[in-house]
Amino acid sequence: MMINKIFLIAISIFFVQFFSNNPLAVEPDEILHDQKQELRARNISKNIRCMICQNQSIDESNAPLAKDLRILIRNKIKDGDKDEEIYKFLTDRYGDFILLKPPLKLTTLALWFLPFIFFAIGIFIVFFHNKKSKKI
Amino acid sequence: MKKKLLIIPFIIFSLVLLNFFYLLLKERNPSELPSNLLNKNVPKFEALSLLKNKNFVSSQEFGNEIVLVNFFATWCKPCRDEHKYIKLFSNEKKIRVIGINYKDNTKKTIKWLKNLGNPYSDIPVDKNGRIAIEWGVYGIPETFIVNSKGIIKYRHVGAITKTSYKKINLIIKEME
Repeated sequence: MMINKIFLIAISIFFVQFFSNNPLAVEPDEILHDQKQELRARNISKNIRCMICQNQSIDESNAPLAKDLRILIRNKIKDGDKDEEIYKFLTDRYGDFILLKPPLKLTTLALWFLPFIFFAIGIFIVFFHNKKSKKI
Repeated sequence: MKKKLLIIPFIIFSLVLLNFFYLLLKERNPSELPSNLLNKNVPKFEALSLLKNKNFVSSQEFGNEIVLVNFFATWCKPCRDEHKYIKLFSNEKKIRVIGINYKDNTKKTIKWLKNLGNPYSDIPVDKNGRIAIEWGVYGIPETFIVNSKGIIKYRHVGAITKTSYKKINLIIKEME
């Protein structure tokens, strides 16, 4: 019974976490008429950090700079810029910090692969420890 | 042999901890971000000049002398606080001070400068914040130092205080 309850709570937390729609800050006058272009703009905005709030994307932030950047992204899409060009424009000015997901680079190798190394070490220790305790 | 190997994770963990402690104890402002434009050329832009009857063209204005570029607005309180230090910079003979008026009202700005004094040799107007984005500005006031070759050498985020004034002055002295 208790296990059932815990399972139910865990499932609901999972649903709230992954399927909730974050409230967006995009204002009606910003939205592009072309739905495909608007979708592209939304996808890019979700990956761009609001430099003022820092833990929100510009898609969710009400900060004036976030709005400026949303409009800038939409203008660039209308002008026919590719997604990579828009990302490059932003990182050239604000650095990699503006991307919510850090890029895989020589300087970020530790960030991306240390968790796996720690995991491997952990597995090794558990395995080694178990083997030893069985003997006793 | 295997027992000795077990000490490796412990060493790595201690190193990570040490690093965290260092970052905690070091005097720094975690919300202040390094500029991506350091050691790069000044961004190209053209804007209306607030006081002169002509356009401000960046390619003609940078590259001759050391320039201090200050993003300011009348609605920004810290800008008022740092104004006296900007004036001190404008008294120095070897540097030129330029103020970029960020998302502001022209009339209010002229009145504000009349009241507080105008330290700027030229004031390009950034009506929609587009120039600020070119400079990677994320919160005004921000101050940049551009060397005589037109390359950005330093950025300060937030109001200039007594300490940061001294620091910026030292950087300028080193560049001369």
